[in-house]
Amino acid sequence: MMLVSVAGRSADTDPALKSAAQHVAVTVCATCHGPQGRSSTPKFPVLAGQHASYLAAQMKAFKAQTRGDPDALGYMWGMAAPLDDEMIGALADYYSAQTPVRIRGGDAGAITRGSDIFANGVAAAGIPPCASCHGANAAGTDDFPRLAGQHAQYLLKQLHSFQSNLRNVAVMHGVASELKTPEMTAVAAYLQSLSGS
Amino acid sequence: MKTVQNFRVAKGLTGALLAALAFAPPAFAVPSFARQTGMACEACHTVFLELNHFGRIFKANGYILDNLKPVRGISAAKSELLALSGLPPISLMVQVSQTTLAKALPDPTADGASSQSGTVAFPQQISLFYAGKIAPRLGAFIQLTYGNDSGTIGIDNVDLRYANNVVLPQERSLIYGISVNNNPTIQDLWNSTPAFGFPFAASNATVGALAGTQIDGALGQDVAGISAYAMWNESLYGELGVYRSAKQGAINTLTEEAGPLDGGTGNVLVSGAPYYRLAYEHQWGAQSLEVGVYGATFKLVPGADSSLTTSLAGPTNEFRDNAFDLQYQYIGDQHLFTLAGTRIHEKMTLNASFENGGSENLNNDLTTTRLTGTYYFKRKYGGALGAFSTTGSTDTLLYPGLDGDGAAIAVLGSANGKPDTRGWVAELNYMPWLNTKLTAQFTQYSKFNGASNDYDGAGRNASDNDSVYLLAWFAF
Repeated sequence: MMLVSVAGRSADTDPALKSAAQHVAVTVCATCHGPQGRSSTPKFPVLAGQHASYLAAQMKAFKAQTRGDPDALGYMWGMAAPLDDEMIGALADYYSAQTPVRIRGGDAGAITRGSDIFANGVAAAGIPPCASCHGANAAGTDDFPRLAGQHAQYLLKQLHSFQSNLRNVAVMHGVASELKTPEMTAVAAYLQSLSGS
Repeated sequence: MKTVQNFRVAKGLTGALLAALAFAPPAFAVPSFARQTGMACEACHTVFLELNHFGRIFKANGYILDNLKPVRGISAAKSELLALSGLPPISLMVQVSQTTLAKALPDPTADGASSQSGTVAFPQQISLFYAGKIAPRLGAFIQLTYGNDSGTIGIDNVDLRYANNVVLPQERSLIYGISVNNNPTIQDLWNSTPAFGFPFAASNATVGALAGTQIDGALGQDVAGISAYAMWNESLYGELGVYRSAKQGAINTLTEEAGPLDGGTGNVLVSGAPYYRLAYEHQWGAQSLEVGVYGATFKLVPGADSSLTTSLAGPTNEFRDNAFDLQYQYIGDQHLFTLAGTRIHEKMTLNASFENGGSENLNNDLTTTRLTGTYYFKRKYGGALGAFSTTGSTDTLLYPGLDGDGAAIAVLGSANGKPDTRGWVAELNYMPWLNTKLTAQFTQYSKFNGASNDYDGAGRNASDNDSVYLLAWFAF
């Protein structure tokens, strides 16, 4: 990847940077994350419609090699290494502007159970409602990622990685450490079933 | 080299056939790609050397994706003059193996004696690779191999690429490029075509069958081809190319220089051999399916390797190879499954061999079919089961059973002049690390050179050529 970096540029104000980011997204990122970030492969997360601040933070964490879940090491540490801050910002803008599509499928019982955990938490285990940070419809905020419409398999792996601290995020470690696998599976199924947009 | 023109009853046949037995050495996934990209093997492979979708796109893009800080040179107008990788993309590959044949081969040096039934290969092969980026948009896969059969180091598979990509309307990608390579299908992206097809490693101490199609490895390292390719939306792939002879170790009869080639060299392509490839890949979820066609037409003169000395101006043997292939992959975190296969049909018009008594028929057909299923659990424990079959026209001169003295050609001949060979390959694999593979491979023949029993007219059965091949394979 050849990236020309000029400090302070952003895709909003720089058509060349915007075009360069689109080129990287279509010819490199899309191979795994799908066209416009609408990944059809459950291993690779949907990026379409994700918040730019979260996307940029993850790319920086891959580049700094501080996000340590297995697929981050195997794939993204290398992919993110040549990205400079401007390109990270422009890619984040590109994907946050895309419209996600709904992923079909999922066990109805798990979705119902997941919906309950998402909205209400698991009081007996002291697990707070996911919705309290990620929003009632799981659309996320600037500080917390969108989860609606994400692949269940990806979400489940992330919850396991938070639990084991391979992906070291204190808040999520606290939440996930008491979650049991069937509960995580149910929440993941529910989130996948939600409309991404 | 499997060249049917050579299969003339003649002194020296044994030598020619033994040479044919050496499988073209396979090529490999190489850790220099991992060093260059900063990505683990599984980014591009199911397990090495089989490519996944990302690996196919990496290859189509010319092996140039990298994460290393380059040594750079630019002009005053900011055009890029140099972007040299900070580390040379060098890798080594080592194979050590043990092969056991079901029945020992007769020892021609003493009546009634047998050779050893097992062969220890230490190493069977050591390869040095330069595999990675040369410059922006320019990449290379270059393999030098020491083999225990030749006892020397020689050029192995080479694929030099120029590649670029553009974004089309509606954000579709178009990758396009040029490959210069020395083995038809080495440039291909799927593991259903011959050069990178199953089995990915094979013993070079077994008995090879008489017949094989030209595109199925017969011309590897003996030709040079240039092809232009394009891949639309990472799904539709098309390629057109042309191959010419590019002999290693051949000399001009008159000057004793490295060329030009003349009738003193065997199996020379007299004109450019056209090559084509069209494939479509569809991905959904963790699965992908590819279907495609490929083929080439080779016009060869038998030349000096044969007893049928023919000048380059003389008649030719023409081989029209047309094939289709398919590959299905399921790639999960726990379970990985691949089904890959091809069917190659070869139509031979043997003007040269027919005229010189090297073949009984002017026209022959040959069809090779292979289908293999491969399974891995967590990229650690795996197995494979593959069926192979070659069938074709009966030709008692092309697939001979008797030598010049009228005696049966033991082991290597075909008593009934049929090329039919079929059987199974089963593999058990254990990968303690992603770059180390331990394999036990079992090959079983139900038919060999035309028959199941006494195929050579000297009492050898197809099953006598069954083998057990134990392989330790390291890439680093």
